[in-house]
Amino acid sequence: MSERRPHTESELIEFVRSIDVRAPEELHRRIDALVEQSAATPRRSFAGRSMGLAPRRWRLGGALAAVAAAALVLALALTGKGSSPLTLRQASALTLAPAIMVAPGEDSQRPTQLNAAVDGVSFPYWGYRFGWHASGARSDRIGGRAVRTVFYSDARGQRIGYAIVAGTPAPALSGGVVSVQGGVAYRFLAQDGSHSVAWLRNGHLCVLAGRGVSNAALLALASWDGRGSAAT
Amino acid sequence: MRTLDPQSLSQHVDRLYRAAWALCGSREDAEDLVQETFARVLSRPRVLQGGGELYYLLRVLRNTYLTGVRTASRRPVTVATPDDVVAVDPRPTLRPDSALEVSEVYSTIAELPEDFRLALVAVDMLGLSYREAARALDVREATLTTRLFRARKQIATLLIDSAPATPVPATRREGTKLSGVLSSGETP
Repeated sequence: MSERRPHTESELIEFVRSIDVRAPEELHRRIDALVEQSAATPRRSFAGRSMGLAPRRWRLGGALAAVAAAALVLALALTGKGSSPLTLRQASALTLAPAIMVAPGEDSQRPTQLNAAVDGVSFPYWGYRFGWHASGARSDRIGGRAVRTVFYSDARGQRIGYAIVAGTPAPALSGGVVSVQGGVAYRFLAQDGSHSVAWLRNGHLCVLAGRGVSNAALLALASWDGRGSAAT
Repeated sequence: MRTLDPQSLSQHVDRLYRAAWALCGSREDAEDLVQETFARVLSRPRVLQGGGELYYLLRVLRNTYLTGVRTASRRPVTVATPDDVVAVDPRPTLRPDSALEVSEVYSTIAELPEDFRLALVAVDMLGLSYREAARALDVREATLTTRLFRARKQIATLLIDSAPATPVPATRREGTKLSGVLSSGETP
């Protein structure tokens, strides 16, 4: 904040240039996580790498990535599952990403559903019951699986994302806290100021997440099947 | 020509966030835009062909922003929310002698035409040279100079010359807020 309002254009431009507002810590953490993730991922075609000219941190990153990849292969071998290594964290990240597609409309035949589905698993219509209206969507591919996400917004401007991962069996998840409601296991995870819940619908992994939305609210939405009982 | 070092990108988060805030006019949208920008940049190895990291980040930020704007323009209009309505009047003060707020400046920049806004953000907020900014925005240097000149004039007009003398009555602001809530279409 300046001590007084600028009186000339040059003073104003100086003020604009001098603004040093810091980005929120949460954003810094998210970017740092992206950078770390990037460093841990095997990367192709970096100039000089094949000639041993990579900077030290890249060589260290490469070693870490190799260890991580080996651990993943070992974990898959031990669990006997060949499913994709999609993680809840990755799926949750999608629900917090920007929408890049138009929101699907309400299904005219089934008023509790939207006109969008993954392998026959439909996204719910929550506008009437909960006041959450579909506001956007996106489609991604992670770990060889298609992931479709629909974003919902409420009257207070809050936003949540609902992702359904294609393919069965669903990727194995770990971490978080599991709560069983109506015979369905809901796995809750809190990270970087957001809350996520993951569960299965017809064998498909579903993830619902948002910032500033409580676990209870997420559970109420996740467990709703149009009649007030838990989803299956 | 050199490869982009992801580890060095974190130092630009604050500057990029300020640029995104001025582009979007909203802190929340700015956070999303910066995160999406970094996600794009970090999705695969990048080669810097002339220009620094900020130049490259601005290019991606601009493309991400424009993609988002185009997508949003195809979206159905979303309902107004109480928060949105309050943000209609982002100026925390209407007294010309009082301090100038950052949010007021960024909101004003966000109201500029897109080309002007990008020019101002590139040069005055990210600190790029005219040449770098012109390259990042895919325009000639002369065009950038003109846009920057006009952008500066416009925000100066908005923030210096036309400081409003009459505060908006509280009842009117309440009324605006109320109409926004009523138009939100909460009733299904």
